[in-house]
Amino acid sequence: MKKLIPYITVFLTTLILAFPSKAQNCNLSIRGKVIHLENNQPIPGAYVWLEETKQGVVTDLDGNFLIRNLCQGAFNLKIQFLGHKEIQEKIDLASNSFNKTFRMEEESFALSGVEIHGHRDAVQTTTAVTALYGEQLLESRGENLGESLKRVAGVTTFSTGNSIAKPVIHGLHSNRIMILNNGIRLEGQQWGAEHAPEIDPFLADEITVIKGAETVRFGPEAMGGVILVSPAEIPTKSESKTDLYVLGASNGRMGNISVTHQDGFKSIKGLGYRVQGSVKRAGNIQSPDYYQANTGLNEINFSGALGYTSPKLGAEIYYSFFNTELGILRDSHTGNLTDLQEIIANGRPFSNVGFTYDILNPKQKVAHHLGKIKSHYHINSNWKANLQYGFQLNQRQEFDRRRGDLNERASLDLELFTNTLDLFVDHTHPNEFSGTWGLNIIQQANSNIPGTGVTPLIPNYQMLNMGFYGIEKYSKGPLEIEGGIRFDFRDVSTARFVNNELEEVDLNYSNFTAFLGAYYQLSPSLTFSTNLGSAWRPPNINELFSQGLHHGAAAVEIGDQELNSEKSLKWVNSLEFTSNKSTFELTAYANRISNYIYLNPTGDTFVSLRGTFNVYEYLQANALFYGFDFSGSYEFTSNFNAYVKGSIIRAKNTDENNFFPFIPSDRMDWGLSYKLGQEKKTHKFTISNQLVARQNREPDFDLAPAPDAYALFNFGYLRQLPIGQNKLNLGLQVQNIFNTSYKEYMNRFRYFTDDIGRNILLKINYQF
Amino acid sequence: MKTIQKLPFYALIVSLFVFTACEPEEPVVENDGEVITDVTLNFTELDASGNPVGTTISFTASDPEGIEVGASPVVQTVSLMKGKTYRLDIEVFNAIENEDITEEILEEADEHQFYFLGSAFVGSSAPLTYVYDDESGELIGVRGIVTVASSPGFNNAQMRIVLRHDLDKNYPGANNPNFENFVMAGGETDLDITFPLVLN
Repeated sequence: MKKLIPYITVFLTTLILAFPSKAQNCNLSIRGKVIHLENNQPIPGAYVWLEETKQGVVTDLDGNFLIRNLCQGAFNLKIQFLGHKEIQEKIDLASNSFNKTFRMEEESFALSGVEIHGHRDAVQTTTAVTALYGEQLLESRGENLGESLKRVAGVTTFSTGNSIAKPVIHGLHSNRIMILNNGIRLEGQQWGAEHAPEIDPFLADEITVIKGAETVRFGPEAMGGVILVSPAEIPTKSESKTDLYVLGASNGRMGNISVTHQDGFKSIKGLGYRVQGSVKRAGNIQSPDYYQANTGLNEINFSGALGYTSPKLGAEIYYSFFNTELGILRDSHTGNLTDLQEIIANGRPFSNVGFTYDILNPKQKVAHHLGKIKSHYHINSNWKANLQYGFQLNQRQEFDRRRGDLNERASLDLELFTNTLDLFVDHTHPNEFSGTWGLNIIQQANSNIPGTGVTPLIPNYQMLNMGFYGIEKYSKGPLEIEGGIRFDFRDVSTARFVNNELEEVDLNYSNFTAFLGAYYQLSPSLTFSTNLGSAWRPPNINELFSQGLHHGAAAVEIGDQELNSEKSLKWVNSLEFTSNKSTFELTAYANRISNYIYLNPTGDTFVSLRGTFNVYEYLQANALFYGFDFSGSYEFTSNFNAYVKGSIIRAKNTDENNFFPFIPSDRMDWGLSYKLGQEKKTHKFTISNQLVARQNREPDFDLAPAPDAYALFNFGYLRQLPIGQNKLNLGLQVQNIFNTSYKEYMNRFRYFTDDIGRNILLKINYQF
Repeated sequence: MKTIQKLPFYALIVSLFVFTACEPEEPVVENDGEVITDVTLNFTELDASGNPVGTTISFTASDPEGIEVGASPVVQTVSLMKGKTYRLDIEVFNAIENEDITEEILEEADEHQFYFLGSAFVGSSAPLTYVYDDESGELIGVRGIVTVASSPGFNNAQMRIVLRHDLDKNYPGANNPNFENFVMAGGETDLDITFPLVLN
């Protein structure tokens, strides 16, 4: 009887409240979203209790909850989550349902930084975000960054052979997307097609792809999207963890070892560290019928971090070093146009070589140092001040096949220093608003190291970019609306010798960018997000100043100092469905770019004693990119699972009404997987099939027609095995099972060789 | 006192946070070491027993700017006498660096080879016959013997001279100075010049 008293009270109160209305309304609901006060990340698994109805629910993966079938009246809502202050809220339900975002404050800092819940996105944005982590990341280990990211629908690669792969998001790459190494924008010589991102994927605990224009948040050039390579959080208490990877691949006889170790200090509360290193060695890659000459690689990478967390203050010091030496397919370096045409007509390299680990010229040697200091201070429970400073040194040497002593000297030798400074404040209020306001400075100095014996391709320059931005977000229950603006100013001063005369040029660029986005939870299983963002990209140094022979490519490239900044407007819409058995995600976008800069064949040839060369010039035109990507999975039984993903891109030069080169063709990937064994001790078998269409939308001029469509079959086996407190993962993968000869349109070496043949990989991962 | 002890620490922090701007280096004039600006064909007439007679006649192809964007090369017309035999010495020079590239070619003899193509050398009615005659005995083409037919079918032909670098000299057919499929032996082209030929 006592238990019934609250019910009767509620019943009576609601009856009284409801009296003026005609009928009792019991179709009301309380919806909400529970997020961390500090970083706005959703809290899944928080317990929500409604005192009056004795009803309890748990928030889903996105932190959302819904209590239905409530009658009008007053309710006391309680939200609890481990390590967080309890929230109590009085809610009056009248004629409308109730919606609110609840922000939970952490009680004990000792728990912060420890992964106590499932996956959370590295960035909270209303744009389409996809992340690689856990099992998917485990499967991609041993691949370079570009190759790993191919697992994300809508991301492809623009590659030069098999060891240089640049990620392409929605058809854009190089300086039109941005890569962040632990929060610092990676500044290498990204303008070159054969310049791979200088980053070791092993340092990542998670790789996130943002498919929207994110210039406001991250600065100029983030036009097509952003890739965040994020290491794990640094431990805040003594808790030793080591992650060891040993990998081997049959093709190229690749060996790869990586170790990550992290721990916290007992003596100082809140102080922890992480060290990570990897070594990789591979020899000549094998196409189905032959070895590709001089395609080996050597890589040594290291990173370390020290972090301190207290209730008010957080600080982190981080350093990463990337070092690679990689061979460039010997046959891809041609002396003149005739050479180039001969090898294209031949369809495969002229050289017949065996296997070797030796790397000869042409080759690249790249070293990239990145240092970072980051600190935040909680001014009060609502405001947080942040400071982040990054220093980068990129050293790039490219060696060509040359005569005599010159063969030992790099023919391109560049040193690029970059300083980045971010000062920003975050605010999160118990009401519906949160946001970020900040200042971002990038300073860069590029020098050609003398002694190459080649007139430098790009001048020495100094660049300063200053940006001011503000982003505000309004959240109420299932709805989030976000908007931001940014102003950037860039000054570039260059110096070089032209015909023995010093030529100095000063260039200025400035731009406003803005975005507006929204996220709406249509039902517990369905969400919709939309984002309209503008972005800009000042012309690159090579686009402005190139003047001469692109060695090896048999092309003379001519830059234009009068080029204007590219400006774009990208609209991304994403629909995400998740239920017990199936998931589905559809992302559709349109990206209008004005003054899109591209390398256009002039149709002229240039004659020298060395032979004839094609002449290319940098031009600007208006462009439209649009398309969609999809991914989905379905669980037939608890053991048997199927997935599919794919992407379609259309890109047009709307001025000339023709197509741009190197736009990914339509493609999809689907597979079936079967799981055996109990939870955490599983055997997983996967068979997958990759289908890539021919690119029928070819540019008016290309050295060779687009290669044919192809289909590849892959097999994967993953065994998860707990050994005491430790965990062992064993993987076996067979890529290109049938050793199919194929050429990929997005690989620049399709002119010279077939792509990689069958590859069998063995992967051992031990976590202790 | 304590503050003073900590001063170096603060100074370090401040110096790290104050924007440590880096300056680019001053640019330096870079002389193109790899460029070939002048190619000279030196023809010396040989008598029946192979001894040189008379003065050497020279024909050049030159491109003062090398392979940078600029003027096209100037190529002279080669003029030879019917029925005579000549020794052909090829000189390759980089005027920008003032460097004799012929020496470098001879030093790396195993990586370099000249091929003699075009209607002057290839075809059944080709007026010229070329035989390698390098001092080291290796097939390079820095020195060779050119024989002009006494009654050629035509007296104007194209002399195409190609210098290949980093080729496989053991590739079948690569020992033929008129090997049209020289690309099959791998490597890349360093020179590809076509001289007009007139026979008197």
